[in-house]
Amino acid sequence: MTALTNARVTTTTAERDELRATLRQFLSERSDEQAVRRVIDSGVYDPDVWAGLSTGLGLVSLALPAAYGGDGYGFIELHAVLEELGRALTPSPFFATVVLAASALVAAGDADAMADYLPGIAAGTRTATFAVSEHWGAPKLTGERAAGAWTVSGEISLVLDGATADLLLVVANTPDGPSLFAVPSDAPGLVRTPLRTLDGTRPLAAVRCEAAPARLVGPAGGAEPVVARVVDLGTAALAAEQVGGARACLEASASYARERVQFGRAIGSFQAVKHKCADMFTRVRLADAAALDAAEAADEGARLPVAAATAHLVCSEAYLFAAAENIQVHGGIGFTWEHPAHLYYRRAKASQLLFGGPADYHERLLRAVGV
Amino acid sequence: MTDLDAFSAEVRAFLDANAARRPSTGTIEWGTGEDRIAYFSTDPPDVDKAKVDAARAWQRRRYEAGFGWISGPAEYGGRELSTLHDLVYDGIEAEYDVPDTGVLAVIGLGMIGPTILAHAEPEVKARYLPAMYSGDVIACQLFSEPGAGSDLASLSTRAVRDGDEWVLTGQKVWTSIAQHAQIGMALCRTNPDAPKHRGITAFLVDMTAPGVEVRPLRQMTGGADFNEVFLTDVRVPDDHRLGPVDAGWRTALTTLMNERATVGGEGVGPAGRAVSLPFLTALLDQNGRRDDPATRRELARLYADQAATDALNRQAIRKVRSGEQPGPEASVSKLLYAQNLTRGAHFAAEVLGPKLIADTGAWGAYSWTELLLSTPALRILGGTEEIMKNILAERVLGLPKEPGIDSTSPFRELRRSGGGS
Repeated sequence: MTALTNARVTTTTAERDELRATLRQFLSERSDEQAVRRVIDSGVYDPDVWAGLSTGLGLVSLALPAAYGGDGYGFIELHAVLEELGRALTPSPFFATVVLAASALVAAGDADAMADYLPGIAAGTRTATFAVSEHWGAPKLTGERAAGAWTVSGEISLVLDGATADLLLVVANTPDGPSLFAVPSDAPGLVRTPLRTLDGTRPLAAVRCEAAPARLVGPAGGAEPVVARVVDLGTAALAAEQVGGARACLEASASYARERVQFGRAIGSFQAVKHKCADMFTRVRLADAAALDAAEAADEGARLPVAAATAHLVCSEAYLFAAAENIQVHGGIGFTWEHPAHLYYRRAKASQLLFGGPADYHERLLRAVGV
Repeated sequence: MTDLDAFSAEVRAFLDANAARRPSTGTIEWGTGEDRIAYFSTDPPDVDKAKVDAARAWQRRRYEAGFGWISGPAEYGGRELSTLHDLVYDGIEAEYDVPDTGVLAVIGLGMIGPTILAHAEPEVKARYLPAMYSGDVIACQLFSEPGAGSDLASLSTRAVRDGDEWVLTGQKVWTSIAQHAQIGMALCRTNPDAPKHRGITAFLVDMTAPGVEVRPLRQMTGGADFNEVFLTDVRVPDDHRLGPVDAGWRTALTTLMNERATVGGEGVGPAGRAVSLPFLTALLDQNGRRDDPATRRELARLYADQAATDALNRQAIRKVRSGEQPGPEASVSKLLYAQNLTRGAHFAAEVLGPKLIADTGAWGAYSWTELLLSTPALRILGGTEEIMKNILAERVLGLPKEPGIDSTSPFRELRRSGGGS
């Protein structure tokens, strides 16, 4: 049993390297820095990039179950994809749709819901999200059943892709306990408000439901293990993105330190700069190891909670460190709007806090190891 | 290649017949057993000697069973298997309670043996290699000097030719295990008019020869793991030269390239066990700190770094096993190992508070001072943190070297501290 699939199709390291190279080439052509900035400015994902990722390269269906339109690969393949998306800061519905929503549907194990929703997701024709960020305390929504039909009410303020996703998965309190519900984007009573965000590559929205018709996914009262599973997979996936982004910062710094001349020498020949870059390299290598370990754990099973919590902590801090030091190595130019360094800095900070931030992730790790 | 499964079975049969299995690392029983958290040896000389004797005896038994030099050539007592077989053996042996052979293995068998194999005359190889790998001969490394630390190539111990012999004079320092060694590999200045890297020659020195004096060097922990080695008109036959005259830097690089990475070393030994999660958690409970938020936060960060470092090491070993070139992981591992152990020691110290600074007799309290006093060495030995960072930045990230004249000017003209020439 793997992250998102039943029977896993496997790849070699060389095949995954090829996958990375293909995706990197695609992103450099179709979603370069200028394209990323256009999405940040407009707040709208580029449909051509999404079509390229889904129908063009087949990456959306990659790790989804073969029984529901997926290709049946594992998390380790998803890891390679996410690292490249993180490296290029690619704004797309990929994370919310494939990692959060599809994982929630698979984790809930509701065959009818999977048959109804997953094939569209796999085909790239349906985007989705799972409002998971705020579910550390009690659910903010309430589910009510009347005449055999469910409605949900209440407001959640931080939903990834909440304003654009075709399908919203939410957790709402019911008499049986927290339960998973699916709310289509055209449901009456659903009000979605895009929010101003620190990181424009990752849109967030406030979602208000006023007796919005909803479909119960999985058993009533069954949301807790789904949330736990999605947080594990989500943080493991985020770790791969964080490593990609952190490595981009490291490479930008090393490249600039080789070329920028002051006092008659390349600044990278000064130990103050050289050692900063070496520290970045060390933290990025450590983060890389942790993220890869989490991906392998996701495909193995039992080790995942510890490996994911470890990776989330290590990768969050490594990315922040690399993004901040990247600005420092670049000096004044790194502080300008035109330079991409701040895009990484924003992404690093937003990623660290997306699932709750340090106060949550330290305790989550200690819980996972039984302290 | 011998089938690895058959090899593993052979290793297990040998170990089952000659050693007991290590008890599995279970839960910590606070207050029972040894609470010393040693990193360096502070054993009195007789205990130290007994440990060296045990290491030699175990190495001899391995050698006789065909596991003394698994990847070495048969001509000199080796088994002619791959380095993968070495890893397999090490992995299995770690499950058994056997004497620590570090005194022989780390420097002699791990670094100097391969150097002799690559650079020595055939008669010298035949004389020393089987003796080393069978546990008879311990080798030490006469590299660093008072005036040549991180800048090893600026060494000034002189070797002057006299007929078929060379006469060595100078001082070496930080020489581990010199007090136990029968031979030492010495780097000496043979041409002060050449640039520093091009006037060095490597020799194999008989540590019992007249003019060799080993003086223990007491370190800040109170013990003496290192030595100073004084060479005064020590005569070395020319056939004990390792590589061509003035080409000793290349010989030295062979030695340093064989330096075993600390990969996988963290969990091993009393220090590794002490900073492990179960032990630190028990320490928190004993000191009423389990619910302290600041302490919990630091524990999470410390554990995450340890766990990620373990993952990095496992992945590095896997790479080597699949035949890939080892990457820069060794330098990264070394930096992280020092950082993690240092943080672990300070974490424990802060949990203990004043109980650390005086020995009240409480179990598992004052005993942490030994590790705490050892950790500064971790950032220095085997290449300082600063040098490791230079290596990563220059060799991996391609950043330029510090500009300087010291690689091109004659050694004689360089400014140096200490040593003299």
